[in-house]
Amino acid sequence: MSTASPRHMDAAVVTARDREDVLVGNEIVRHNRASRLIHWAVAITFIECLLTGMPIWTPAFSWMAHLYGGLSVCRVIHPWIGLAFFLSSALMFFQWLSDMHFEPNEKGWLGPKLFQYMRYESDDSEVGKYNGGQKVLFWAVSLAALGLLLSGLLMWFPRSFPKLLMQFAYVIHDFTFICFAVAIVFHVYLGTAAEPGTFGSMTRGTVTRAWARLHHPRWYREVTGEKPAR
Amino acid sequence: MSAQNLEIRRSSASVWGSLSGMRSVPVVSKYIDTTTCIGCKACEAACIEWNDLRRVATEQIGSYQTLPTLHAEYWNLIRFNERDFDGGLVWLMRKDQCMHCDEPGCLAACPAPGAIVQYSNGIVDVNPDQCIGCGYCETGCPFDVPRFHQTTGKMAKCTLCVDRVSVGLEPACIKACPTGCLQFGTKEDMLVLAHRRVDQLQANGFKTAALYDPQGVGGTGVVTVLAHGDHPDWYGLPADPHVPLLVKFWKSVLRPLGVVAIFGAVIGAFAHYTKFGPKKVKGASDSDTNLPDA
Repeated sequence: MSTASPRHMDAAVVTARDREDVLVGNEIVRHNRASRLIHWAVAITFIECLLTGMPIWTPAFSWMAHLYGGLSVCRVIHPWIGLAFFLSSALMFFQWLSDMHFEPNEKGWLGPKLFQYMRYESDDSEVGKYNGGQKVLFWAVSLAALGLLLSGLLMWFPRSFPKLLMQFAYVIHDFTFICFAVAIVFHVYLGTAAEPGTFGSMTRGTVTRAWARLHHPRWYREVTGEKPAR
Repeated sequence: MSAQNLEIRRSSASVWGSLSGMRSVPVVSKYIDTTTCIGCKACEAACIEWNDLRRVATEQIGSYQTLPTLHAEYWNLIRFNERDFDGGLVWLMRKDQCMHCDEPGCLAACPAPGAIVQYSNGIVDVNPDQCIGCGYCETGCPFDVPRFHQTTGKMAKCTLCVDRVSVGLEPACIKACPTGCLQFGTKEDMLVLAHRRVDQLQANGFKTAALYDPQGVGGTGVVTVLAHGDHPDWYGLPADPHVPLLVKFWKSVLRPLGVVAIFGAVIGAFAHYTKFGPKKVKGASDSDTNLPDA
């Protein structure tokens, strides 16, 4: 079905190098290699930012600074990793933007629908490649990345700005990071323990047919050409 | 410059200092009488000498003032202020340096454990070993005192000569003052001195003479006598200094809430898993629910 693959190579993995939204055997390619690399760049730089930033935020996490050789090392490298985080986030934004436009029926995802979803009570056959919650997260983290960049730039050069502006920068940087961290805890949880089969879309790039049918039914139909069940 | 023989009352980014509760150390203070300062700058020279500071190129700003503002290598600066007053000119000289607040905004803002300490005698000091040069303290200081040192990458300011004071000497600036407008001792004694001088000034016609010991920061380790006490701004002093509200909110409200929120999220995710478990793919009999074995 896919391009000729080298011996011992998995056809789905080979296909996932440059294509997505295609069926290969029993698997569907969900994220091509570029998407996965960008997402991992965001994930790794984000975690590095947490590990270097949280000990500066509060001494409750000062043990993290030892991973880097002390607080002063964190203070020097955090802004640079932050820049890398913003650049990867910007790449991710443009990589996924076209799939992230809200549809009229996704309005409730900021409130009740999100809780329904977390109780496993939502049963929406019209969920496409991304559900409303994922779109909310996408826009929220994009906005947050911008907020962290702007406030972070001020904090990098504190003597170039008025003191009152600096005070706002510190509060905004911390508030944004706290919201971001809380959201990412659930993002990671949903992508691993809560929804088995999801993590593969970030490693091999693929998901199973059944996974796609359960979580993203309309996307499943679009990829496979199957008719709706009812 | 850390004074090993002084206990620490407060320490930045720390829950507590090192007070044993066994030693009773009086709070010390400088006394600055701006009305008898003659602007000789002996205190500036003494500060540079004792603290081994490098010479900073002076900057002409149209007055006798050495520099426009404090500098990482210039911790003590006489400000020469001029004002039109009562049909004439008043020439107001004030010695500017760290005020050694009882409630230091720099210490509240500092993220590095032990980088800013307040000793049991009230002296607020930067500990370069721990300082990471982030500049948060600049934002917290209501008097615009801490300065970033370009060479060392650390913050620097007046130490109130803690190395001298802790062995029973007076600060270098005090020792050098030829008019006696600078005195040093316990805060209690300096307040007595200041009140006596204010009374004297008022009796001599300076009706608005007052003592500057702002209570918004819990009082300062510098007691200043002002002839025009109703206009501290004429001397370059804020009328009612406080630790900035946003700094307090940032450190005392947002930070603990954030720690609770993040741990809460982790606990919440675990709780969710125990209540709801993994979201299983329905119809497990379908062959395609199993991971492909290539």
